[in-house]
Amino acid sequence: MLKVTAPWAIKITAIKLLIPAVFTIGLHSMELVILFFTNLILVLLLAMIILTVWRAANEKNVGRYRLISGLLIRKAAFFDEEILPGTLIPVKKSVTKLLNNKFFRKTFTEELLSAKKNLSGVAGENLKYLYYQLGLEKYALQNLRRSHWHLKSKAIQELTLMDMHDLKQDLFVFTNNKNELVRMEAQVAVVQFSGFDGLAFLDEITYSISEWQQMKLLQKLANFPPMLVKIDGWLRSSNDSVVLFALKLARNFHTFDSHDIIISCLQHDNPRIRLEAIHCLAEIYTPETSVHLISRYWRESLVNQLAIIKVLQNIASEDDMTFLVTLMYNVNYDMQLAAARALAHSGERGLSLLMKFGANDDIPNHIILQVTAELAA
Amino acid sequence: MRILVAEDDELMLKMLEFRLKKDGHEVIVTHDGREALSKINEVIPDLVITDIMMPYLSGLEIIGSVKKNFPGTMPVIIISGMGQESVVLEAFQLGADDYITKPFSPNELSVRVKRFEKVILR
Repeated sequence: MLKVTAPWAIKITAIKLLIPAVFTIGLHSMELVILFFTNLILVLLLAMIILTVWRAANEKNVGRYRLISGLLIRKAAFFDEEILPGTLIPVKKSVTKLLNNKFFRKTFTEELLSAKKNLSGVAGENLKYLYYQLGLEKYALQNLRRSHWHLKSKAIQELTLMDMHDLKQDLFVFTNNKNELVRMEAQVAVVQFSGFDGLAFLDEITYSISEWQQMKLLQKLANFPPMLVKIDGWLRSSNDSVVLFALKLARNFHTFDSHDIIISCLQHDNPRIRLEAIHCLAEIYTPETSVHLISRYWRESLVNQLAIIKVLQNIASEDDMTFLVTLMYNVNYDMQLAAARALAHSGERGLSLLMKFGANDDIPNHIILQVTAELAA
Repeated sequence: MRILVAEDDELMLKMLEFRLKKDGHEVIVTHDGREALSKINEVIPDLVITDIMMPYLSGLEIIGSVKKNFPGTMPVIIISGMGQESVVLEAFQLGADDYITKPFSPNELSVRVKRFEKVILR
């Protein structure tokens, strides 16, 4: 008799046969996985041990490297001979050889930069010369080409500190870098190297220049003799921070030629620019400047209005008295005080108008007393 | 002259020591404010050159102590960083005799020290 096996039975048998096979294959896979991860852990442990030993060896050398660096730096700083083209600061062969060691070079460069920050005069110049003599700028240039922003900015700082003027063009390309710190270092570098000529980056910069950076650049420029700066283009820039910086330049360096463009900045959309333009006009003005300021006054915020009145203290003429007298009736105390000061400083007529307010009940008497006391002081 | 130098930057300390020894002075070096005060009382230098910012005790505290314990006999020159104007003013109020700002020229320091040499030897 033929035994017919039901389909479901076949299936169960198949499954029963497959499970051990799968299980066997699975076991092999598991072993492989375990083996893989065990090996990985061993490799990682080995790498950690090697790194720890290497670090320990380097740290042991740090003291020695610092000593060697210190001796050479001191020798250079106090090098007695006048450094002329071709003069060489004596450097031991062993130290020259050590400079091929990345870790020593890093330590030496850090010590050299630290010393340079603290020394000026002949000693400072000698350290720059040593940096150049040892060819250390090429390592900084290598770092400039790397993708890490922190290495780039550190390299730029190093080259700036060591006054590598010849590399000005190499650094200029970074003045509009996407990384803010790299940009800032590069901008400071080109201004340090070239003074006002270094501001050429303002023609092309697309990023904003922070207030802090603007202050740093102005501080660097203070080391250079003032020169005629063509700022008209920057005053018209679509980059508001460039306009602000140009207004500061105008104020600091009295670029009278730019007066009319500065007046046009009073119409700018940005209230911060309008305020900076107002401050600028305290230093750069013509007999007509007060007319422009007064015509702008009623459209301005309180902060800008007060700034306008402060400028009028210096530049108001007889024709502006009516306007100033109107402001004495302003409900804002600061505005009254500012207007009183402007009147007091605008000549005999302004002062006599101010004194007449003493009898006016609408005007606090202490404002008049304060202003007259300030005049007397 | 016997000069005590207080400076926590090891490299700068060695620079100062080197420069002053080159000028023929006896130099005592200290690495922090506490060590400086202790040495001042021990060796009684002719002149003190001190950094402002140091561990344990600042240069200002050293000035105060020197002017209190050695009035009129021990000049103090301070070394300050740029931007420390208010600290320099405070140092003068406490009695500092001169100051020099970083970055400084060792030659300038040498000349300033010579000035005091003339006063002390008189």
